[in-house]
Amino acid sequence: MKLDYSLVTRRTFLNTLFGGWLLAFLSGSVVALLRFAFPTLGKEPDFVVLKADDFMNIPINSTKPFAWGGKVGLFFRKDERNMVALKGVCTHMDCNVAYKPEERKFYCPCHKGWFDENGKNIKGPPPKPLEIFEFTVEGDKLIVARKGVKVELPKA
Amino acid sequence: MKLAVFLIFMIFFKVPLLWGQAKQAIEVFPSTPFYQYIIYENLAIFWIAIIGLIVIIRMKLREIERVQKLGLDKTDHRPGVPLPLEDGENGGDREGF
Amino acid sequence: MNCQKLKDWFDERYDTSALKKFAGEKLVPSHRHDLWYYTGGIIVFLFSIQFITGMMLAFYYVPHADFAHKSIIEIVTKLNMGWFFRSLHHWGSQLTIFFLFVHLFAVLLLKSYRKPRELLWFSGFILLGIAVFFGLSGYLLLWDERAFAAVRVATGGSGALPIVGPFIKAFLRGGIDVTGETLTRFYAFHVSILPLATVFLMVLHVLLVQVHGMSVPLSLKEKNLPQTPFFPNVVYKDMAVWLVVLGVTVTIATLFPPEIGQKADPLAPTPENIKPEWYFLFLFQTLKLFPGEILGLNGETIAILLITAGIFALFILPLLDRKSRLGEKSTLFTLIGVVYLLYFLIMTLIGYLS
Repeated sequence: MKLDYSLVTRRTFLNTLFGGWLLAFLSGSVVALLRFAFPTLGKEPDFVVLKADDFMNIPINSTKPFAWGGKVGLFFRKDERNMVALKGVCTHMDCNVAYKPEERKFYCPCHKGWFDENGKNIKGPPPKPLEIFEFTVEGDKLIVARKGVKVELPKA
Repeated sequence: MKLAVFLIFMIFFKVPLLWGQAKQAIEVFPSTPFYQYIIYENLAIFWIAIIGLIVIIRMKLREIERVQKLGLDKTDHRPGVPLPLEDGENGGDREGF
Repeated sequence: MNCQKLKDWFDERYDTSALKKFAGEKLVPSHRHDLWYYTGGIIVFLFSIQFITGMMLAFYYVPHADFAHKSIIEIVTKLNMGWFFRSLHHWGSQLTIFFLFVHLFAVLLLKSYRKPRELLWFSGFILLGIAVFFGLSGYLLLWDERAFAAVRVATGGSGALPIVGPFIKAFLRGGIDVTGETLTRFYAFHVSILPLATVFLMVLHVLLVQVHGMSVPLSLKEKNLPQTPFFPNVVYKDMAVWLVVLGVTVTIATLFPPEIGQKADPLAPTPENIKPEWYFLFLFQTLKLFPGEILGLNGETIAILLITAGIFALFILPLLDRKSRLGEKSTLFTLIGVVYLLYFLIMTLIGYLS
């Protein structure tokens, strides 16, 4: 079916085509710029590598903090041989938790939340247990990884 | 098709990236083929976008020059003197422009 | 996108009829040399890219001697497309200076500097100096061995100027030697002082172009040249040219990301085969031409004096070229322009190949 007249004027057609293409081009460029300007927003690492000596010999029933991306991780020595690595961030509103050795519990001061020595939430508002990490010792390195992550060390 | 492109890129672009293999070469460009492929593919898309824009600009310029040659861009229309007709027009409704 | 309501809102408050009239009437002559008209716009475009990529890099770069090198490595290895924006900034700067020289020699040989456009020449010349200093200061910010040695040589060279030399050297270095103080100082130049000076001078330069219109080469002066309206014809042509420049810059930046050398160590020996950036090569080749001593005077000082004189002569060229000021053909100065161009090209080439 041939039309007697065109549905749009040449001007409209060209301007729409130009504007649309230009918009797509510019938004692509802007997105690239934004991804650069907003780095790893809240992204956490899959694993961190620490010096084993610094952590394996801490006093029994104490914790030592380590950096987990921008957040805090806690290396917890339960007793002589049992050690746990966990994320020291409260599951309620992301405050940093502290370990109370006298009570063998983790405490979050923001809303008075309590976690037991296994990280399980036992009192107060926290809805979930603290996130537990897996860790291995390879030579002089302590590798703490998120559960289920296969760790591949880059050739140092 | 993508496989062929991938292979061509692997042959032609890996070579310059072997430069700078100093003892502790700092990676100024991602070293995994996975990322390299993405980057070069994006470069191709980028050029297609630029060429597309230039083609559209050329279309616009041709239209503008056509309009200017016919004198249709001048806003001072003297009453009683008809504007020149474009191809296909029959002196009827000119509201489109 | 018509936004008539927005336009009405604006027009009810501001009378832009003079501006609109000017814009609507602005014409650009078209002739066989009009391709060179685009070089100025290309430079504006490239400077914009530099400003944008520079500002983004400034989010992450740390301008302290102990952290500078590391911060750049972090940008390049850890951030999304960090390597790309750094590479784009690097190649953008190379292309900007390249097109600046193209623009300089085009204006020189087409004699656009002649009356009444002398101020354009002077402001443009200063802008070139600023751009070269942009390049030098930016280069040091990497704080690797090459950059460190290059800046030592460049600032040391300035010290050889008679009387003012030592002051300039101390001012640039922030001390006796190139140190962390130099880095801080060059950073201040690179992100604050030079950008402001550039914006101010560029606005002046572009405004003067609007006032005078585009210059037409003397050989074509008498002819009645066809004029193209700037809005919209030349604007679209400019846009197409800029898109190509963008494509070329991005392509080079993707294919040839610049290396990062080892961190600078002031106590380490200068690396072999140290060479300055390409736009300094012609200066250093010239220095090499002069023997250590001429008639009992220090050869290097004489060389630097001659170079300064040559650059100064180029700066005041519009005042020297009387014939073009009167609108007459000035073959002597065309020849001088060609000599300058050839000298620059040949010396740069020799410096690059040696």
